Amino acid sequence: MASNDAMQAARPRNEAEETVEAIHRGNVDAVVVQGPSGPQVIMLQGADAPYHVLVERMSDGALTLDADGCIVYVNSRLCALTGLGAQELVGRSFASLFIGSVPQQRADDTASDAQLRRADGGDLPVSVWMRQMAMGGVVATLVTLTDMSIQRRAEEVATAERFARSILEQATDAIVVLALDGRITHASWVAEQLAGRSPVGHMFSEAFALDAASASQQGTLARFSRESLDQALATKPFHGVEVRLRDPRMSGRSFLLSAGPLVNDAKDAVGSIVTLTDITERKRAEEQQTMLVAELNHRVKNILAIVQSVAGQTLRTAPSLPAFNKAFSGRIQAVSIAHDILTQTRWIGIGFNELLTTVLAPYGVGEGRIVIEGPPVLLEARLVLPLSMVLHELATNASKYGALSAPLGQVTISWRLRDDRQRLELIWLERGGPLVEGGGSRGFGTTLIDRVVRFDLDGDAVLAFEPEGIRCKLIFALTAETTPEHLPASAVQPD
Amino acid sequence: MTAAPMEQDGYNLRLYVAGQTPKSLAALANLKKLCETHLPGRYTIEVIDLMKDPALAQRDQIVAIPTLIRQLPEPLKRIIGDLSNAEKVLVGLDIAPS
Repeated sequence: MASNDAMQAARPRNEAEETVEAIHRGNVDAVVVQGPSGPQVIMLQGADAPYHVLVERMSDGALTLDADGCIVYVNSRLCALTGLGAQELVGRSFASLFIGSVPQQRADDTASDAQLRRADGGDLPVSVWMRQMAMGGVVATLVTLTDMSIQRRAEEVATAERFARSILEQATDAIVVLALDGRITHASWVAEQLAGRSPVGHMFSEAFALDAASASQQGTLARFSRESLDQALATKPFHGVEVRLRDPRMSGRSFLLSAGPLVNDAKDAVGSIVTLTDITERKRAEEQQTMLVAELNHRVKNILAIVQSVAGQTLRTAPSLPAFNKAFSGRIQAVSIAHDILTQTRWIGIGFNELLTTVLAPYGVGEGRIVIEGPPVLLEARLVLPLSMVLHELATNASKYGALSAPLGQVTISWRLRDDRQRLELIWLERGGPLVEGGGSRGFGTTLIDRVVRFDLDGDAVLAFEPEGIRCKLIFALTAETTPEHLPASAVQPD
Repeated sequence: MTAAPMEQDGYNLRLYVAGQTPKSLAALANLKKLCETHLPGRYTIEVIDLMKDPALAQRDQIVAIPTLIRQLPEPLKRIIGDLSNAEKVLVGLDIAPS
């Protein structure tokens, strides 16, 4: 048989005859014909089988349209994307595949975006590439559709990741994300600063060595070993345990340790979010507030005692109700001014000069009737109230009976520091007033001055009733050696 | 494609194919096997894909694919088909069976 063929082949043959025979025997699978624009390859049946397999297997949807825009072929991926079978798709119009605008072939051979209609009523973002081709005298359009939902989802995930990352970066708390085994998977910038390095990849207890902030908190933390703390933080909610970091750089700072579960879409815990909030400043403010409330309470009680005492004493010495009213109002006014000063200076203290100017303003300190001379001295807050009351008594006496009661009278207040700047000596000198007669009067005012200077100012008061006017010498300590806890003497009832 | 230094009595062969059609792939495989068996070191094969450039069909007046052209030694010979019949190919190319 073979030799028979060989003999036939050896015989000179017409080429056309040979070609026809090859085609007839199925030995060729394509022929070249003369088309309008030169030779054209025409595939015989079966020749495109490899391409067909490739198209069926490709991950993009593919379809062919006839000249009228009617679908003549779809691959299986397109069926999957639309949710329709090939029989349902072939014969339909291309436009019916889409929601909204129908994609068109682009001159620059790029793809365009479209929404593919799905059989389940939903839609799918796709990227559509199209090209028109002349095939054996007919015009067809080849189309591929790429599912963009995965890419979109990836973009959304990337956006969410960037969003979460920027929250982590900008959070003022140290935030770390733990996997279920207690290993850190994400950390905020502040967390990195606290750990002194990137804690990602380390166990929480390795990255942050913790101690309880106080004995009362010790119990909570002591229940856990290092490993079990990692486990607990990764799997159980934790609320507000006060801790300190063992890192010497963080000594003296307190942190609030909290943890909450991190869940996935299926609501399964996949780890936890642990925060360390620096509460050092908050604690300091709380302590200060507690102290201030106690101080305020103490002072209000003092003031009420003072008011009660002043009222009692004024009542005892006042000759009439109008006189009581005037004297009492003046003294309460002095207490009020002293408190204004303390509030304005935030209980820090005040310059002596400034105190004199403020307290004596109603008595003509700025009009040359009261002259002030002395070096700058800063008074502690505790001295403000007693000194204000003493100055008020002196000034009231002066305006009623002394130098300030006469048109040309004058008060000179001078002071100096003594005993290594520990004490202040003040001279109150009245001149130009009415003549002071024998010994003067030791009324309530002088009693109050004496007691206040002795007990509240830890000093001495010497009151001399000179014929030309009063000379009062006050000597008092500028700094308290011990903090007196007793009530001011001004609040003590006189003998 | 498979190249070997040309000798005086070397075979210069040209195979026309149309992409990866089954007959084209079969023709190339059959030709290579046959040349390695009967013409070791004495042949060159040039593969021309007419899918990429149909105009090249004009040079050797190709009408069916695959087609093998023996350029050298002269005279020019032409064999149409997938070259599965080795005996026929050997006769067609004037190669004495070894």
